[in-house]
Amino acid sequence: MNDREVVIRVSGAAGDGVQSAGQIIAKSFSRKGMNVVTYNYYQDIVRGGTSWYQIRASSDPVRSQGDGLDIVIALNKDGVQRHTNPDIDEGGASPLSKEGIVIFDKSIQGYEEHGQRYVPMPLSDIAMKYSNNALMRNTVAIGAAMASINLDFETLAGVIGDQFGSKGKIADLNVNAAKEGYDYFKKNQEPLKKNLSFGTKPKYLVGGGDAIGLGFVSGGMKFYAGYPMTPASSALMYFANHASKFDIVLKIPEDEISAINMAIGANYAGVRSATGSSGGGFSLMVEAVGLAGMLEVPLVIYEAQRPGPSTGLPTKTEQGDLNLVLGAGQGDFPRIVLAPRNVKECFELGREAMNLAARYQTPVFVMVDLYLSEHYETVDSFDLDFKIDEGKIAGDNQENFRRYEDTEDGISPRAFPGQPGLMHNEDSDEHNEFGQVVSDAVTDPRERVKAMNKRMRKMETYRKNMPPTYTYKFSDAEYAVVQWGSTAGVVEEAVDILRNKGIRVGAIEVTHVFPLNHDIGDLVRGKKKIIVVENNYGGQFDRLLRSELLVRTEPVRKYDGESFYPGQLAEEIEVVIRGGK
Amino acid sequence: MMESPKQIVKQTDYQGEVKADWCPGCGNFAQLTAVKMALADLGIEPHNVVVVSGIGCSSNFPEFIRAYGFHGLHGRSLPVASAIKWVNPKLTVLAYGGDGDGFFEGTQHFYHTAKRNVDITYMVSDNQIFGLTTGQASPTSELGMVTKTTPEGNIEPPVNPLLLALSAGATFVARAFSGDPKHIADITKKAIEHRGFSFIDVFSPCVTFNKLNTYDYFRKRVYKYEPEDPEDFAVAYKRASEWGDRIPIGIFYQKSEPTYADRDPVLSKVNLRESPYYKLKEQDLEEFL
Ligand SMILES: Cc1ncc(C[n+]2csc(CCOP(=O)(O)OP(=O)(O)O)c2C)c(N)n1
Ligand code: SF4
Ligand SMILES: [Mg+2]
Repeated sequence: MNDREVVIRVSGAAGDGVQSAGQIIAKSFSRKGMNVVTYNYYQDIVRGGTSWYQIRASSDPVRSQGDGLDIVIALNKDGVQRHTNPDIDEGGASPLSKEGIVIFDKSIQGYEEHGQRYVPMPLSDIAMKYSNNALMRNTVAIGAAMASINLDFETLAGVIGDQFGSKGKIADLNVNAAKEGYDYFKKNQEPLKKNLSFGTKPKYLVGGGDAIGLGFVSGGMKFYAGYPMTPASSALMYFANHASKFDIVLKIPEDEISAINMAIGANYAGVRSATGSSGGGFSLMVEAVGLAGMLEVPLVIYEAQRPGPSTGLPTKTEQGDLNLVLGAGQGDFPRIVLAPRNVKECFELGREAMNLAARYQTPVFVMVDLYLSEHYETVDSFDLDFKIDEGKIAGDNQENFRRYEDTEDGISPRAFPGQPGLMHNEDSDEHNEFGQVVSDAVTDPRERVKAMNKRMRKMETYRKNMPPTYTYKFSDAEYAVVQWGSTAGVVEEAVDILRNKGIRVGAIEVTHVFPLNHDIGDLVRGKKKIIVVENNYGGQFDRLLRSELLVRTEPVRKYDGESFYPGQLAEEIEVVIRGGK
Repeated sequence: MMESPKQIVKQTDYQGEVKADWCPGCGNFAQLTAVKMALADLGIEPHNVVVVSGIGCSSNFPEFIRAYGFHGLHGRSLPVASAIKWVNPKLTVLAYGGDGDGFFEGTQHFYHTAKRNVDITYMVSDNQIFGLTTGQASPTSELGMVTKTTPEGNIEPPVNPLLLALSAGATFVARAFSGDPKHIADITKKAIEHRGFSFIDVFSPCVTFNKLNTYDYFRKRVYKYEPEDPEDFAVAYKRASEWGDRIPIGIFYQKSEPTYADRDPVLSKVNLRESPYYKLKEQDLEEFL
């Protein structure tokens, strides 16, 4: 047990308030200036089933939901058994540690014990004193959990107060219920042996979807069209809740095809806009991705992955849409794919995507997965200054305006409806520099080649301006672990575990997935093994890497719907290093 | 609201550089002329006009008019047109396309754009056939009609686009015929002036692939109709259902209702094209503390 951190899991059925309880706990820690990462394990069901919410809070930086489990709040019998039994596989999540405690209502009986500390409490009895149903038992249990690690009650009371803020009396009742739980534990139980230290000021606790929302707005987005689909909806909800405040527009149309065409229309008219979905909804958008590529209309597409095929596992995580995104649209046209590694980077790359789209006038994807879009992390600060790059825009009234002028960098001047003297046609048929179709009457092969080369040249321009690839503990590494997107935190923690065992391994973290930065080729040169870690079955990124760099790689993959866990991942990497399975 | 003085705009101001390459005699020529006429008559300058289309013979329209043109995907003109109008309400936005484009591939957009009452004009070149793909049955092809894809006769009853528009909630529903460009222009002017979703279905003979619904076919049947009370939905529905030897053309229904943008809390007060970017402040992060 790491005494500098605490891992708490709230477990219950859907509808039990597991998530809101988890968020109260998470916020209590972030307000104390601790580093927090949460993990949301839930099912595609509105009532019933098993769901749990894990909070890892540490005095030191944390980059994943972590291993280890100190406290379980079990809202039903299943929760008591599930998290204490080391034989139950939850996709790599740790069972309750030997010194850990499980808090539950005393009415729950007949469970099997596995040696940890079982703490039955009168959760419902206390709850019923403050309310006419037992739902408030969550709050009582949270009080007890906070007492078990000696967190001051005032912090928790503040968070509960804010959570129920608008409902004054209800807030008071909840605070009182929590206090009883807190006092009960103090009186009857020994605290856990922890040595937590706190920060000097509160940290922001932000979800991946929120950060995407913040990033897009910071990048100048004024219009978002999307059709709800987990896990892309967390960003959509951010827009729904902030539209009036920021004077931005959220449109939920009849389907994803409409959504992407709307986003293209708004961008065409000169308003920064984006669309987003998960794999299923994005599949419907595919044709229009090519439209944006052909018309050279900037377009940011937020693609939040969940396991496929088809409806797949709607509430689980995977990195299985890379092939779809790379292959979306007939023909060749420029596209840029970004994959943030963490919540803060959702913000940073989200707004960068807005500028890249405007600069290169082509589709730019921001790819996350359920793990990243639905979990919360603490962030110390956001740099709110950002320079919006409008890209090339034509001045009014030009003779023979060439919207698709064949320039050296491939980027031509845009013109927006309403601008005098720049009327032109933007056409999904192949066209010349003026936007006139070259596919009717007689197809002009030279114009076609010129147009293709012009568009594709933008990718060369982009390549020259790409940032270098991130690495972690890489300078003396004998083995290279390569990852993309949200697995960075877990990979870094696995690297730390392996390094503690004396294995010289380092990580290459790819945020700019396509086009791939060829500096990765220099980085992996001479390494004993190149291990590609990916949350999918087929190694979609691995294939990209191999085809671009012509290197031999070794796979570590997971496709059970859950994220990697650091300990588990370190073991698997070690197996590969030691010569394979 | 202050009206800005009307500019003198000539029909030739809308003369595109590219010559329309439809088959000689194609109905689309009449619509092209009519639209130019209407826009010029209304004194709208070409740079404030966007014509959005899908894919089909008819959808090549934006290439042939001097304005801002958007020639997009088969069936998808309406979402594009809606968004353009929303983000810059100063523009006059016209969507144009075929019957296959609008009532097959894009049916859902037609229905919902009408229901939303987006302030745009949607004109369909209804030739009861797929023209560009050389003569397959379309959603408005008559029962029994022999086409390339229905060698034994069409077995699907045709959709009545006017009834579809009315039941969806369109606030301006009209029908016209390519044989009378002046009449199309008159209706188009009213459609553009109407605040809300205006739909005009135009019988537009495809002289190459539709040997059934010819100019003669329509000349024999169509007659001009004007309702006593254009807001009477029941009458509009009844008259729009008339089919056979006598087919009415004209404006069947027109009613003033709030547009989508009127109802949107942001669009009702902000022109997004002109509004400043929102600059995030520290206070915007407070909810995360
Ligand atoms: C997604 C898609 N499906 C099919 C086509 C092929 N296609 C082009 S135009 C067309 C139908 C044209 O009919 P209509 O919309 O009535 O237009 P018209 O040519 O008659 O004016 C079809 C099926 C396409 N371009 N895109
Ligand atoms: S094929 Fe028919 S619709 Fe197409 S241009 Fe010729 S006449 Fe017009
Ligand atoms: Mg047609």
